[in-house]
Amino acid sequence: MTTKKLTSAVIGVGKMGLVHASILSTLPNVELVALCDKSNLIRKFCSKLLSGVRVVDDLAKISELDIDLVFVTTPIPSHYSIINSLLSKKEAPNVFVEKTLSSSYSDSAKLCDLARNSGKVNMVGYMKRFAVTFKKAKELLNQGAIGSINSFEAHAYSSDFFGLNNPSQVSSSRGGVLSDLGSHVIDLSLWFFGDFLVQPEKINAKDIQNNVQFNVKSDSSVEGFFDVSWCKEGYHVPEFGLLITGSKGKIAVDDDVVKLESASGQSFQWYRHDLNDNVGFLLGAPEYFREDAYFVESILNGVSAEPSFDTASKVDYVIGKVFDGAEKK
Amino acid sequence: MNNEQPILLVGDNPFHGISHLSQQSVKNRGTEITRVKHASDIVKTSIENGANGFMFSVSETTLSILKMLPEKKQKERLNLYALVPYAYEYVRLATHEGGLPGLAKRFAKEVLQSGNFKTVGFGLKGVLTSDPMDLIKAYLSYEIIRIKASAKNRGVLRSVLLHEVITDMAIALNLESLIKSYIKFMNDHEIEPGFETRNFPYFVKKFKEWDINFKGLVLAAPFNKIGFYMNPSKDECEKAITDVFGSTMIVMSILAAGYLKPMEAVDYIRGLPNANAIVVGVSTEQQGRETFNLLADKLKIA
Repeated sequence: MTTKKLTSAVIGVGKMGLVHASILSTLPNVELVALCDKSNLIRKFCSKLLSGVRVVDDLAKISELDIDLVFVTTPIPSHYSIINSLLSKKEAPNVFVEKTLSSSYSDSAKLCDLARNSGKVNMVGYMKRFAVTFKKAKELLNQGAIGSINSFEAHAYSSDFFGLNNPSQVSSSRGGVLSDLGSHVIDLSLWFFGDFLVQPEKINAKDIQNNVQFNVKSDSSVEGFFDVSWCKEGYHVPEFGLLITGSKGKIAVDDDVVKLESASGQSFQWYRHDLNDNVGFLLGAPEYFREDAYFVESILNGVSAEPSFDTASKVDYVIGKVFDGAEKK
Repeated sequence: MNNEQPILLVGDNPFHGISHLSQQSVKNRGTEITRVKHASDIVKTSIENGANGFMFSVSETTLSILKMLPEKKQKERLNLYALVPYAYEYVRLATHEGGLPGLAKRFAKEVLQSGNFKTVGFGLKGVLTSDPMDLIKAYLSYEIIRIKASAKNRGVLRSVLLHEVITDMAIALNLESLIKSYIKFMNDHEIEPGFETRNFPYFVKKFKEWDINFKGLVLAAPFNKIGFYMNPSKDECEKAITDVFGSTMIVMSILAAGYLKPMEAVDYIRGLPNANAIVVGVSTEQQGRETFNLLADKLKIA
């Protein structure tokens, strides 16, 4: 017996669009039927290379096709208008969008309403939740391995704009460092510790597009510190990490390793190698395959996916508060 | 392994500040290793201790390393296996130049500046007809010229391998004609066509589906005793390698990015059918000496 495949489209054929289009093509229950990009050159190349895939320049043409799921992988500033258009249709598709959900919390809140009304599955690509090391850290926290949490320090560094005289000239097109890079560790922190508030008096953001430090505090008095920069030397591969201090020990976690140190002096560590990091198809990082496969499974099983638009909008809320606080200072 | 002397290649990841074990390992190594002179000394020592080739992503750094290696008589020249494109460099350029269209414009400018008639011809044709294969040919010609100009009498360019990101996107998106055109182009230039992949069983399945013979191809994929980077599973990779007879099969990640000791890796590699080449990145001269001495000794065919 053959089951009908889910039809899929990718809007925005840049680096991330190609990664998701490729992974979707390897999933047994999905068919890639359309790509959409505003660049004439990219459309021409895609048309010549990909047989059986419609390549279009206009969102309306995607909506005309019978698409089950759409991946939005355009630059962040365009997310709101694209998703708004997709979800305003009578027959809205299931939507996955690369982080962040939108450029502002108010726009994200509107998209959450639309998504709720659509009744379809929606998800934001906070792929670090699908990394084996961060999953292990979450598991350890849930097990109470370090007791009650007192504080954490989170960092997100890359060398993307290291050495440029005026990085803001090019970096602003990616939505700024907090949205592009920092959003991953903000999402991980919300996932690990629950909601928190930005402390406006402790924001250091003289160059908010490129380097930001700020503090947060949760209802349960967990204190957190974030350090985000894409102008650091020596980070060819971006690095995301957290150091978490609890009443009974510490956990240090990044993309490669989780280290647990108990108050009694015992220590344990797990590398990716120890945590079964293999996937059905590896492109970029194993996390991409896991999040795409999970999104598709959620659609097939008719259940919601996490991080949903609602969950991810909290990241936009935190980012908005950092910008507000920095402006007031 | 096959019943022939294996090709032992020095890998270049450490020279770019890359470790697949952890970022901490990169920090521990310090910045010295990314300096060209230091890196070329490591390559030289590895060669003196059993390595007979260099596998590298084509970048200013690796081409400079190549230029610092000693010139050799024809029979003694180093086997060169070049990976293109150097993904990090192009992603960084795309970031700085305003995405893929910006990157394409910059590349077109560089091709024009290269002054090579054939390269410019492919490039112009590619732009006029919007044919990606012509642009790819322009790019490949440009890279081959750069490598040969740097290698001179130091090494022989055996193969140009497509970087794993390109290979894996091509097999996922069913780009059969692109892969076949690439093989033909390389064969026409008397360079062995190569493919690096992190999805070896999927790759083998696709090539069989497309009726591509593995003979004469250079393949590179991770193989190690703990199954690190062996997707979707160690078992399936071990089955797939039995199908690639006639190829130059380069096994990489044999130390699982430093997680395993060389001695632990050797027994596993010895048992792999069709594997006839190994690439290992080393970050000190001592490591180069120990690792390649061990590999040359333990994998020696009596």
